[in-house]
Amino acid sequence: MKKITINNLSYKYSLAENKALNNISLEVEKGDFIGVVGPNKAGKSTLCKSLVGLIPHFYKGEFEGEILIDNLNTLNSSIAELSLKVGLVFQNPFNQISGAKLSVYDELAFGLENNGLGREEMITRIDKYLNLMDLNEVKDNNPFELSGGQMQKLAIASIMALKPDVFVLDEPTSQLDPQGTEEVFKAVSRLREENLTVILVSQKLNKLADYANKILFLNQGEIAAYDNTAAVFSRNDLEQMGMGAPIYTEIARELGLKNEKNQYPIRKSELKEMLVAKYGKNIG
Amino acid sequence: MRSLSLYVKRDSLIHKIDPFTKIIYVFVSVISPFILPTLIFSTSLTLINLLFLLLGRVVKKVLPIISFVFIIILTIFIIQGMFYDANQTELFSLFNLNFYVEGILYAARISVRAINVLLAFSLLILTTPPTEMIESLVRRGMPAKLGYIMHSVLQIIPMMSSNASIIMDAQRARGMETEGSLWVRIKAFIPLIGPLVMSSLVNTHERSIALEVRGFSAATQKTFLHQEKVPGGMKQLRIFFLLFLAAVLAWRLVL
Repeated sequence: MKKITINNLSYKYSLAENKALNNISLEVEKGDFIGVVGPNKAGKSTLCKSLVGLIPHFYKGEFEGEILIDNLNTLNSSIAELSLKVGLVFQNPFNQISGAKLSVYDELAFGLENNGLGREEMITRIDKYLNLMDLNEVKDNNPFELSGGQMQKLAIASIMALKPDVFVLDEPTSQLDPQGTEEVFKAVSRLREENLTVILVSQKLNKLADYANKILFLNQGEIAAYDNTAAVFSRNDLEQMGMGAPIYTEIARELGLKNEKNQYPIRKSELKEMLVAKYGKNIG
Repeated sequence: MRSLSLYVKRDSLIHKIDPFTKIIYVFVSVISPFILPTLIFSTSLTLINLLFLLLGRVVKKVLPIISFVFIIILTIFIIQGMFYDANQTELFSLFNLNFYVEGILYAARISVRAINVLLAFSLLILTTPPTEMIESLVRRGMPAKLGYIMHSVLQIIPMMSSNASIIMDAQRARGMETEGSLWVRIKAFIPLIGPLVMSSLVNTHERSIALEVRGFSAATQKTFLHQEKVPGGMKQLRIFFLLFLAAVLAWRLVL
């Protein structure tokens, strides 16, 4: 089932010289986990902002084409309407705290209150996502007193509580330490368990290989590659495109290890299996 | 992080009264002495406020505020005592300066009213959690956006001040002097403003996105996680306060 359809999307920020996105068309199936990669200025964040309707409703600029989320055109729906369908989490965890609530528990209610949910429904959802994100211990703390990883988990939980079908995460771990990154990726894996459609922008290719079933590689506002994760990371022109691959794929490439589909392994377990199959259990 | 709030958590009768009733009380208590500007009336209201502050066990917290305005009040007494228009009856003389009864009484009327305003607001602010107070106003039709601004001032100003100290640390690490005489501090203040204002603007922009994607501008009727706790008898109390105000008005108009 199609979840997201993007047709000929182009966008230029006001005052910018070049288009941030140039004629992008793609489809995302329900339940897909798309890893978005690409260098600076590739249009990754612009794509995220477009999916939640911030472009063109919040950022004014030249917008062409259309984005359909379940046949709902982002151009004709308000950000508030879209917020119930598409959730956005971005880089800086600090700036995603509303600043209007004095406890983690109340912070989770912020979006629910805005959307006019009943009290009992709110409590049910808050309890659920506090547990799911392991935030129960800090539920009475001031949100600003949390660690970066916890804050980002709170941001994810606050968006999850709105029960969107599509979850967009724009480099949610880029400002976090390794421990915080680990916590957030664990949280992201829960999104997959909830069968949400996830769009995750990240430079952590090893992690993307673990979670994403497809990779979208953007370069200078255009789609450079969009395919199954293993297929993208197995391409021979990655280096020319200015993109790396997960460390396990790089090792396999060096060793010339390909599977029956003529693709390189992308995960540790796959590489290990292939190494064992080729060299026996006692290698090294 | 500390929040910018003067609220003192105590278990008292005054703390149990709901914010809206207290807001009405403060309004009536502040406005009445201006409608009926007699010294006895404003003094009695001030004493009532003092009594409530005692009941709320927050009197100690008021003292610094009072001592701050004490200087202003002293000035009022000196100026009015000597130069009030209707000064006639000499009360005493100090270093050849004459103080008059009329002026002193006039100064007393102003000062007592000022202290009354101060005590009434202190009563509200010291015994009511700010979030509950703002929420109670939003429930009664104050725009949620205005409520957010009031909330965020409490949280975001301390955040800005911690940002400022981070920036100052960074500047100090590169050899800038930020401590010492007043002049050194003033000189250190100017380079602080740029990065602080810029980073605050960027943060505000990002935060506004975060608010948007959580339905801040949703057209639906807002709901509240917490139920409003209104103890019994508060409605009657609110009506009583408003009747009191009406009576004061009537008194003023008739007499």
